[in-house]
Amino acid sequence: MTGTRPPLVGARVARVEDRRYTTGAGRYLDDLEPAGTLHLRLVRSPVASGRITSVELSSWDPPPEGTLLFTGADLDPDLGIRADIDTPTAQPCLQPALARDVVRFSGEPVAAVLHPDQYAAEDAAECVDVDFDSLEAIVTIEQALAPDAPLVHDGWRDNAYVRRRRSFGDLSAARARAARTVRLVLRTNRQAGVPLENRGCLAVPDERGRGVTLWTSTQIPHLVRTYVAAQLGLAENDLRVVAPDVGGGFGVKGHVFVEEVLVPWLALRTGRPVKWVEDRREHLLASIHARDHLHVVEAYVGGDGHVEGLRAQLVVDAGAYSVFPWTSGSDSGMAAKVLLGPYDIQDYEVEDIAVATHKCPLGTYRGVGRPSAVFTMERLMDEVARQLDLDPFAVRRRNIVREFPYRTATGPVLDSGSYAQSLDAVEEALAEELKDPRRGSGDRPIGVGLSLYNEQTAHGTPDFTVRGVPIETGYESVALSVDPQGTVTLATGMQSHGQSMETTLAQVVAGELGVPLEHVRVDHGDTAGTPYTVGTWGSRGAVLGGGAAARAARRVREKLLGIAAHNLDVQAADLDIADGVVHVVADPARRLEVRDIAYWANRRTDRLPPGVEPGLAATVFLDGPERGTYSNACHGAVVEVDRATGKVRIQRYVVVEDCGVMINPTVVEGQIYGGVAQGIGSALLEEFVYGDDGQPLSSTFMDYLMPSSADVPLIEVRHLESPSPWTEYGMKGMGEAGAIGPMAAIANAVADALGVPVHETPLRMQRVWELATGSARRWAHDDWADLPGLSGFWTTGEQNERP
Amino acid sequence: MNVLLTVNGERHELDIEPRRLLGDVLRRDLGLFGVHFGCEHGVCGACTVSMDGRTVRSCLVYAVQAEGHEIETVEHLDRDGDLHPVQQAFSEKHGLQCGFCTPAFVLAAKGLLERHPDPDETLIREELAGNICRCTGYVGIVEAVRLAAERMRAAEARR
Repeated sequence: MTGTRPPLVGARVARVEDRRYTTGAGRYLDDLEPAGTLHLRLVRSPVASGRITSVELSSWDPPPEGTLLFTGADLDPDLGIRADIDTPTAQPCLQPALARDVVRFSGEPVAAVLHPDQYAAEDAAECVDVDFDSLEAIVTIEQALAPDAPLVHDGWRDNAYVRRRRSFGDLSAARARAARTVRLVLRTNRQAGVPLENRGCLAVPDERGRGVTLWTSTQIPHLVRTYVAAQLGLAENDLRVVAPDVGGGFGVKGHVFVEEVLVPWLALRTGRPVKWVEDRREHLLASIHARDHLHVVEAYVGGDGHVEGLRAQLVVDAGAYSVFPWTSGSDSGMAAKVLLGPYDIQDYEVEDIAVATHKCPLGTYRGVGRPSAVFTMERLMDEVARQLDLDPFAVRRRNIVREFPYRTATGPVLDSGSYAQSLDAVEEALAEELKDPRRGSGDRPIGVGLSLYNEQTAHGTPDFTVRGVPIETGYESVALSVDPQGTVTLATGMQSHGQSMETTLAQVVAGELGVPLEHVRVDHGDTAGTPYTVGTWGSRGAVLGGGAAARAARRVREKLLGIAAHNLDVQAADLDIADGVVHVVADPARRLEVRDIAYWANRRTDRLPPGVEPGLAATVFLDGPERGTYSNACHGAVVEVDRATGKVRIQRYVVVEDCGVMINPTVVEGQIYGGVAQGIGSALLEEFVYGDDGQPLSSTFMDYLMPSSADVPLIEVRHLESPSPWTEYGMKGMGEAGAIGPMAAIANAVADALGVPVHETPLRMQRVWELATGSARRWAHDDWADLPGLSGFWTTGEQNERP
Repeated sequence: MNVLLTVNGERHELDIEPRRLLGDVLRRDLGLFGVHFGCEHGVCGACTVSMDGRTVRSCLVYAVQAEGHEIETVEHLDRDGDLHPVQQAFSEKHGLQCGFCTPAFVLAAKGLLERHPDPDETLIREELAGNICRCTGYVGIVEAVRLAAERMRAAEARR
C-alpha cells in the first residue's frame, strides 16, 4: 500500500455538508427552473408489446394552447440508447429516444409533449391518442427461451442478449473426488434501487448561442456528456453536464437514459430550456430494474462438506433493452465472475445468459450481480450443511480461502481478507441465539442465518477491458488548487449523493496538506473545470477518489515545502506542516503560514525558487488495482417467523465487516446500515410483479414496499481491518457491501426457523406462509435444466468460449 | 382562485388553480424547496409539512385547503440562525446521507417530540414509520431523535 495515514484519516469527523440538508437549502434537480422553461411530459406505452399505428393530438379533447408534440417520427432513427457487448453471441439493440414502430415494455416513451406550465403538460399528455396493435408479450424467462418464442427484437436468433460459457480447472476431476452432488435452483425476483428522488434533467441552451448545459440527477456526469454529445452531434466541449444535489442513486442513476438524450435535443430544437422530472409511477415502470436472476447449480461435494467443484447456469431477465454503459449482460456476467466468492474452489464451469423480455430494462443496483450470487452460494453452503448434518459455520470454515494473495478460478486475485475471523465473530455474537430452544420450533420459531461474502471493489482497467462493453475503465480523478488566500478547492467529476465525499475527501486533503479541515472545499458533479472521470459507482469513491486526492495533496504539499524551504533558507526535509503553518521541526519558532506561501505561489512569484513555475495546484488520475481489491463481511440474522401469517420479524442483525483502512468510520457505518436496510427490503418486501400480459402490477409504493423504521432493527456493526497491499492507505471499497449479504442471511434464517429449504426471494408473507404450510412452489433442478433454452449447458461437455 | 396562505408566520396572497398541490405551491410560488416530492401518492412522506402543529403530507393537500391554517416548513426552524435541536442532532448522529428525506424527517421528529417528549425506541420507530429513508437504514435517525429528545427535555427543565 502507498501512504501512511495522515491525521484525520480514520477520524469520525462530523459531516460538513449537513447544514444545507437539515435546513431545506439543498438544491435538487426539480428545484431548478430558469425563466422560459418548457416542461416535458412523456406519453408512455400502456402495453407491453405492440405495434404503433398512430400517435396524434386528440381532436375531440384538444390539448392546452401552447402544447408542442413530438413523436418518434420527428427524431433521427438512431437517436437513443445503444449498449452492445463485444462478444460473438451478443445480439445488439437500440432503445429509441421515442418509440417509432413498436413498443417493447409498458412504460416505454412513445411521445413527448411540451408546455410552459407543468400541470398543463400533464393535461396535454392525456390528450395524445396513441393506437396500438397489441402483440404477444414475453414476460418470463421460460417464455423468452421457449423454442419459436416471439422475438422481443426483430432479426434476432432468439431472445438472448448474450450467452457466455467459461470453464476453469478440471470439473471431471472434481466430480470424481466428490462424495455427492447437490443440485439447487435459486430465484431472486425483480427489484430496484428506488432512490427517494426521482430522475430528472433540465437542458438549458447557452444564451450566447453556443452549446447547452444539461443539469441531470446523475452519478456519472462525464459519461453522460460523452454519450449525449455524440448522440446529438454536438462538440463535446460545447456540452456541460452538471449534477446538482442528488437524492440517492444506488446505481440507478449510474446510467445514461433516453430522456437525457431527448431533453437536450428538444432544448436545441425549441431554443428554450426544457425540463423533465418523472413521477414515482414512471420511475417504477421505466427507470432501471434489478436482480431478477435464476440460478441452476450443481455442486460436487466431499463427505466433509468441501465443495470440490461447481457447475452453474446463471440466467437474468434483462428486460426490453440493453442499458448504457453496463449492458444487459452486466448482472449475469458479474455473477459468473464472482460466484465463488470467498471460497477455495478452482474447478468451475459457468454459463451466463441475459434474456430479453417485454419489461423495464435491467441495470445496476447496489451490489449488481452479487446479492444474487451470494444468495446462491450461501444457500448452497447451508444446504450442504443440512444434507451432511454439519454445522453451517463449520461447512464454511471447510471451504474458505485462508491464505492471501489468492488467485481465483476466474482470474481476479483476492489481496487480503478476514473470512475466518469474521465467521468467528458472528458466531460469537449470536452464541445465545444459536442455543435458543425456540430455534425451529413452535408457532413462532426463531431462526439464525448467516452469509459470508467478499466484494470486488475499485477494479482497474483490465477488469473492464475483458468485458467488451461501453464502460472501458473505472478510474477517478481530482483537480486540487490552493488560492492566494490559502483556501483549498478539490474539484472532481465524481458525484456525492450520500457518500459524504465533501467530508471524507476533505479529510484526506486536509490531513495530507496539514491545513484545517474548514479550509478545504470539495466541489463535485460538474464536468466544467474537472478532469475526466467515470463518476460514482462500483465502490471506488474512497479508494480511487480518496487515493487521487491524497496524491494531489502530497504533490501540492511538496511544492509548498519547497517554497517554504527557499524562503526560510533550510532544506524541505527540515520542515513540517500542521494546522496551516509550515515550521522548522528543530526550531518551530521559524515558521511560515500556508496562506502566505499560497499568496506567493499565485501572486508574489518573485518569492519562488528559481525554475519553479507559478501556481499551487495538482491534477491526478488514479486507476484501480488490476482486478480490484476485495473487502469482506459476514452477516448474521436472527428472525422470528409467524407460521400463521408468514410475517418475518428481524430480531437482530449483525455485521462483521472488513474494508481495510477507513477514512471515516461513521460514514462507513452509515453506508452499511443503509445497504443492509435495502438488503432487508430485498429479502422480505420488494418485488416488481408483472401480469401475464406484461402489465406492471407494482407501480406505486402501495405495491412496491420498502422498509420503514419499523422494519429495520438496530444494526450491529463490528470492524476488522485487512489493509489492501495495493491501494492508498490500504483502503478497500465497501459502498455496496451492506446490500449484498441480507437476502442470503435472512433466507438462511427463515430456512432455519421453518426447517425447510428456501429457494426464492423476496420472502414476502405469502411465500413464507407457503413454506410454513408445505405449499411452496417447487424449485427442482430438472424442471429447469431440461428446458430447451437451458439444457445445452447440462448435456454437453465443457466448452471454452473465452478463457 | 384567490387564497390567503399563512406560511412560516408570513401571510401570502396568491391566485392559484384549485387543483394545485400544497407542496407545489410552497415550492414553486413561495420558493420553499425544502419540501420534496418522492411519490406524490402519500406513502413516502418526503413532502411532510406542519399544519397547525400536526404533520401532513403536502402531496395530499390542495393548496387552497391550507387557507385558514398555519403552515410550517423546515425553513422556519433556523430562522434565527440557530439550528433546532432536532436539526443539530441529525447532523451529530449521522442521521442523513443524501438529504432528500431529511427536511420531512426533521419536521416529523419535531412533531413527535412535541407530543411525546420521552419516547422509547419502539415508539420512535412506529411514529416515524410514515417517512421513508433509502440511505441511512434509520439507525442514525433513531439515535438523533433520542439525542434531540434528551436535549429538549433538559432545555425545558431549565425554563
